[in-house]
Amino acid sequence: MMNSMNNIMKQVDDVLNVLNKEVISNRQFAIDINKGDVHQALTYLKSIGFTQLSIITCVDLIADNKFQLIYILNNWELGLFVIVRTDIDRDNPSYVTVVNIFPGAKYYEREVHEFFGVTFEGNDSSFKPLLLEIWDDIPPLRKDFDPQVYSDRKFEKRDSDKIYRSKIGGVKL
Amino acid sequence: MKEVKLFLGPQHPGMHGNYSVQMYVDGDIVKKARPTPGFLHRGFEKLMERRLWMGNLALIPRICVVEPDINEMVYAQGIEMLAKVEIPEKAHWIRMMILEMARLAIHIMGLGGIGGPTGLYTLTYWAIAQRDLILDLFEEITGARVYHMYIVPGGVRKQLPDGILEKLSELLDELEVKIPEYRELGLKHPIIHKRLKDNIMLPEDVVWEVGITGIGMRSATNKEYDLRKVQPYARYDQVEFDVPVANYSDALTRVNIKYKEIFQSIRILRQVIEKMPKEGEVRTKISTGSALRWKVPAGMVYSAIESSRGEYGYFIVSDGKEMPYRIAVRGASYPQGLLGIEKYLVDCRIDDASLWMDTMGVCSPEIDR
Amino acid sequence: MNERKSFFAPVKAWKYLLKKPVTIKKEDVFDNPREASDQYRGFHQNDWDKCIGCGTCASICPTNAISMVEIASLKIEDGKKNERPALDYGRCSFCALCVDICVSDSLKMTKEYVHLSKDIDSFYFIPDINGIHNTQEKQGYVRDETSELLDLERVKMAHEDVSRKNSFIEIVKGYSMEMALAESARCVECGICTATCPAHMNIPEYIRSIYENDLKGAVTHLYKTNPLSNVCGRICTHLCEGACSLAVRGEAISIRWLKRYIVDNTPIEDYEEAVLSFVTEPVNGKVGIVGSGPSGLSAAYYLRTLGYEVDVYEKRAIPGGVISYGGPEYRLPEASVQKDIGMIKKTGVNFITNTKVGTDITLEQLKEKYDAVFLGIGFSLSRPLNIPGSDHKNVEYAIPLLAETRDYLRGSSKMPDVHEKVVVIGGGNVAFDVARTLLRLQIEKYGKVNVAMASLENRDILPADLEELEEGEEEGIIGSFGYGPEEIVVENNKIVGLKVNKVISIFDEDKRFNPKYDKTDSYVIEATQVYISTGQMPEYDMITDDMKEKMEIVRGKIITGEYGQVENLPWLFAGGDIVRGPDIINGVANGHDSAYGIDLYLQSKNK
Repeated sequence: MMNSMNNIMKQVDDVLNVLNKEVISNRQFAIDINKGDVHQALTYLKSIGFTQLSIITCVDLIADNKFQLIYILNNWELGLFVIVRTDIDRDNPSYVTVVNIFPGAKYYEREVHEFFGVTFEGNDSSFKPLLLEIWDDIPPLRKDFDPQVYSDRKFEKRDSDKIYRSKIGGVKL
Repeated sequence: MKEVKLFLGPQHPGMHGNYSVQMYVDGDIVKKARPTPGFLHRGFEKLMERRLWMGNLALIPRICVVEPDINEMVYAQGIEMLAKVEIPEKAHWIRMMILEMARLAIHIMGLGGIGGPTGLYTLTYWAIAQRDLILDLFEEITGARVYHMYIVPGGVRKQLPDGILEKLSELLDELEVKIPEYRELGLKHPIIHKRLKDNIMLPEDVVWEVGITGIGMRSATNKEYDLRKVQPYARYDQVEFDVPVANYSDALTRVNIKYKEIFQSIRILRQVIEKMPKEGEVRTKISTGSALRWKVPAGMVYSAIESSRGEYGYFIVSDGKEMPYRIAVRGASYPQGLLGIEKYLVDCRIDDASLWMDTMGVCSPEIDR
Repeated sequence: MNERKSFFAPVKAWKYLLKKPVTIKKEDVFDNPREASDQYRGFHQNDWDKCIGCGTCASICPTNAISMVEIASLKIEDGKKNERPALDYGRCSFCALCVDICVSDSLKMTKEYVHLSKDIDSFYFIPDINGIHNTQEKQGYVRDETSELLDLERVKMAHEDVSRKNSFIEIVKGYSMEMALAESARCVECGICTATCPAHMNIPEYIRSIYENDLKGAVTHLYKTNPLSNVCGRICTHLCEGACSLAVRGEAISIRWLKRYIVDNTPIEDYEEAVLSFVTEPVNGKVGIVGSGPSGLSAAYYLRTLGYEVDVYEKRAIPGGVISYGGPEYRLPEASVQKDIGMIKKTGVNFITNTKVGTDITLEQLKEKYDAVFLGIGFSLSRPLNIPGSDHKNVEYAIPLLAETRDYLRGSSKMPDVHEKVVVIGGGNVAFDVARTLLRLQIEKYGKVNVAMASLENRDILPADLEELEEGEEEGIIGSFGYGPEEIVVENNKIVGLKVNKVISIFDEDKRFNPKYDKTDSYVIEATQVYISTGQMPEYDMITDDMKEKMEIVRGKIITGEYGQVENLPWLFAGGDIVRGPDIINGVANGHDSAYGIDLYLQSKNK
């Protein structure tokens, strides 16, 4: 298994402009790609057997002021996962959709937009809300969103000093 | 004729979980469908970033009620991959046992669940009662019926109680007798048969287009695309089992595969009972110190296993601190539950809509998270 | 592959019409509920006698369901808080992580799972041994070694092997970074140690800083309450470790060695910056300090950080008192002492050495010269032992020997006159310091060891630390523990030995010191020199009779008010041994308190 992964990694390295590659396990590797090359990379990976898009997600690298987009592809024939990573600017996060390569990306991109504020050109539906209803704060999976502050603002706290002990209705402390 | 907008869910007997589909219908044919998730959104991914590595254990099983153990497994497996920890042999076998028991529970419930949208509730009642027997065993092993919190990073939480393997063996005997009655009552039932056969088709190209995994994928592609075979985890490479496949995916085929998988799970469990090491540790530490200060080495990993609905995975990022930096959940039913509904619920009949949900394996909590 | 349909197959299900239902009857759900499994995670149960109120359960709780509630009826003692966990069952997820991490093994779960009430507050519950509905016998989930979430074993400290006795090399090697990180990760941050530490050091905070590898932050935490961290990181009595909540079931955190790790490994620039960051703008006020031992140094540092001008008077050539002249080099290397004193010097404290208050300058003069005076003179004299022969010239005392040895190692004095065969009377840490110092000097002088010890207390109740006994015997000390000295045998004007008797009891029925001996079990320990280390006492000759009248001295200790202020002499503050008895960390604490008290006093005076 390690062999076929090494072959694939070598193949990928030869064809694509890989900035950095990382072996995660003997069935999984990650590659960093320039943001301009992601579409080429996904198309190529799909052509060599990574036919299924498992998930698109995003990581907020707030210290570097970047968002990292994550594309995880699954090769069912060889039993391999590849994680394709690319960094985009955090201040004005926008990217180009991959629905033309993986139609299944449509809702994943919509979710990334809702939770990180990354817009995807070419995927018009991605601008619509999906899971959150009447959201009135910054996208919630950004690291600078504090759910405790949000919750304190939105909800009341329990306001009672009653504590019970042992038998209910018995001793009140 | 004028289109009418109908809501299927969030409160609907044919809908599993708090999920809603807005259907625009013409007559009794769906012309346009819009999935409306979010009723169950609890912000797990954000909460996980603010809990200790160990503390998250209380949270994650709640992503999927009927099959909570897959969450524990992908989480634990991901952490072990990051920390490069090898867990004890016996723990692998116990994990496999727990996972297959969970698969049994959800498959039995899913088989009975067919009774809901088709109107044969007897099947559903049977399934609930049968599942409870499995939950009894879970209660004895883990201390809870539904949210087990048993598979933990580094192994499993406790040793198996005495005599549990015998009890499991007896239960399997009982199920082997009982489950065929589901076939007699349900799958052979003329009405159900008619409702399912050649209905709600899933062609192979749709599988790849939408990204459907699990039974849907295997029923259409005729390939053994099961992560237990393709990327064996736990000790699935040391037990024998078949992966039922088909090249024609109608609703009946998919229910039939589910039925067959129940027996494969039983087969795996029988081998687990026989082959599990009798002695040995079941847990190692993933980090030094108290659980309040466990650290997981920095890195990222995608940990996936085969759930009853397909590929279920966590993408875990650690920055080397006491809490995860980011965890993304790949719900197995995400593709069919959103894009699948939008594109392929169309042209379905209204009364088949909830059957569609059921046989495609749409589970709303893992879409919402 | 699909099933064919069949009209008759479903009919088989009719057989269940005649069978008993598998469901539980509705009335049974409440009146006769099914008993849960043996490790069911139901409502909690907490043994209040075992619980120490550390709050670790609340820290791990992923749902914030546990809060610690103060129980007024419980008293606070060392190692225990008067708090007990209260659970909000509206939040609890019954994960039992609290049970798995409970340091005292008091928290458990029961098989109880039904609680119905219209009163929403009744779900906010403080469990005791009776569980939620008085169902203590139905215990459910409990912790075992597999589900353990604590790390109960401390990271072993490396020691020099027995060849250490050939020199005064430091015995304890100190933690490496890796070891310190692992040790710091064991802490549960309960803070029980802080309450027990006389100086109330921010122990959990500096341990967290180590864990986060922020040594500068750790030094900052240290200097908030203790400017003698180098010294205390080596020879503190570490009461904190006795109170550590992990010690209930396992081994306490090595708090002392972690402190030492901080001071030894912080880059000197960071260290200095952290220490000096506390020093504020100068204010108008001068304070004189008598004695440069731990309490004096501590008072001096904190007064400097508050902006006061501080002069410290020391009778010896080097400041430090017990830390420069008491602790043996193999426990407390010169460099560590000098680092602490050097830092305090850097803050701008002025040391006036070789000046004995009472002889070179009087306390009255100090009173005139300064706005306030702090007295930290310590117990600088050895307590004499009056047994026959103790007036012989070869009877020596602990304090002079230790001081002379330190000076000898500094090169400022000749080697103490040690005989080939010696015996030490006493069983405390200082007695072992003396014995092990003698042993090293003997090796240097004679190349062999002959040191005996005699103490009233036997091995089991020896006041010294266990490691002193173990290491001392390893180095070759011959102990007669549990044998009290009767007389120093002198023949031809020369000491030939110490006669000892077996001790039956040390205290009488009224708990007064009154040793009883078994005269039949008696022998003479051969020696030509006897060292007495049975306690220390203060030297109050600088205090005038006039002042003595105004203050209260009970059994050698000065009674002070809050912050060490002497009641009828408001300009005079006292601390350290002369207030609390000999213990370095007590002195540090007194110095800190008095600095605060002096500041309050001077501010009120200036108003």
